[in-house]
Amino acid sequence: MAHRAVALKEEGNKYFQNGEYTEAEGLYSQAIQKDPSNPKLFTNRAMTRIKLQQFENCMDDCLKSIELDRVNMKGYYLLAQTQLALNHPNEALTSAITAYEKCLETNDKSTSAVSGLVLQAKKQKWEAKERERIRNRSSMLRELEDMLMKNKREELRQLRLKMLDFNEEAEEKSDIELECRKKVEELRTIFAIADPKNLQRREVPDYLIDSISFAVMHDPVTTKTGNSYDRVTLMEHFKRSHTDPLTREPLRADDIRPNLALKQACEEFLENNGWAVDY
Amino acid sequence: MFATKRLGKELIKIQQSLPPGIDFVSAPDFKQWEMDIRVLDANPLYLDQTYRLRFRFSTNYPIEAPEVTFIPLSQPLRTIPIHPHIYSNGIICLDLLGTQGWSPVQNVESVCMSLQSMLTGNTKNERPPGDEDFVRRNTQRPRDIRFVYEDSTV
Repeated sequence: MAHRAVALKEEGNKYFQNGEYTEAEGLYSQAIQKDPSNPKLFTNRAMTRIKLQQFENCMDDCLKSIELDRVNMKGYYLLAQTQLALNHPNEALTSAITAYEKCLETNDKSTSAVSGLVLQAKKQKWEAKERERIRNRSSMLRELEDMLMKNKREELRQLRLKMLDFNEEAEEKSDIELECRKKVEELRTIFAIADPKNLQRREVPDYLIDSISFAVMHDPVTTKTGNSYDRVTLMEHFKRSHTDPLTREPLRADDIRPNLALKQACEEFLENNGWAVDY
Repeated sequence: MFATKRLGKELIKIQQSLPPGIDFVSAPDFKQWEMDIRVLDANPLYLDQTYRLRFRFSTNYPIEAPEVTFIPLSQPLRTIPIHPHIYSNGIICLDLLGTQGWSPVQNVESVCMSLQSMLTGNTKNERPPGDEDFVRRNTQRPRDIRFVYEDSTV
């Protein structure tokens, strides 16, 4: 039965490579019926389901493949992608970090893609927070605006009670309307100015930036010189040359150390400045 | 891999400020840029001259070095600076630009500065040995040439 499943999977892979995802998904499903214990079949089907944007079903496949094989980087990687697509940034971040750790254990070639996904999850998390912040702020603004409107209605009522002649009433009425409009404008301006986020310049401190990729670091590591780089870009550099980027002295992968304090600084910065991921 | 992102950021910085004697010319895409450099002191070899540099980036930049050459132009006038490490077709022999000497922490600006100081420090009014021969036969791009860096004095 298992070898029949593998044959179906191989056939599915061909369709997948040609971009024929519906056919590929069908073949992987048949393969899974033949051999429901192979985690690879689930990750392959998950991959096609991401392409087909069937995220709910995809989630099931990812979870199933992880259940079958706990050290299955791909399962977590696809799960993180799915959770991002379904707008669950917190869960996506946890899955992406798990995938990243598994990548490091096995020196996986997708490390850099997974590291990018971690950053995307952080960004989405910040975006959600940002939306919440703006909603809260505008609800307070709305409340104040409502109060101004209420005052205006009250003034208009008082005006009617004065029993003025038609022209006088119209004149005073338009004054009240104008006054109220001005106040609302002013209130909105004050809110815009008072929002420190609007004044803050969008700049990332140099010490959080990897001097090879020029992006915010996610997993900073230190070399013998004391300079820090993102693990992923330094590994990329090692593929070509086992040297310290700054001094060009020999440097091996086990000479580098994680820079935990800097890692925390990067994380804290991204929590409040998720935009920096694409900066 | 991250070439586009990195070059995008370099470009923003380059357009904001550059050291004296280095000017940005054009960056139509993230494959090929042009820069102008001038020597700042009174070195008679390069007095009042501006030279045009062409950078070519692979998608693996900055892990891989860019290919950097001087290019001649008639309008505005740009010649190939005379230097014992610069062939008359504009190909530069500098270890920094080779596979061995390149480091990903270098950038367009730092390469320009290195070339600027390579010119500033030079007193020899000569081309590399075998220049005529090299230029006549050479149709290669710099990345296909294996230089031997034997002279570290210039």
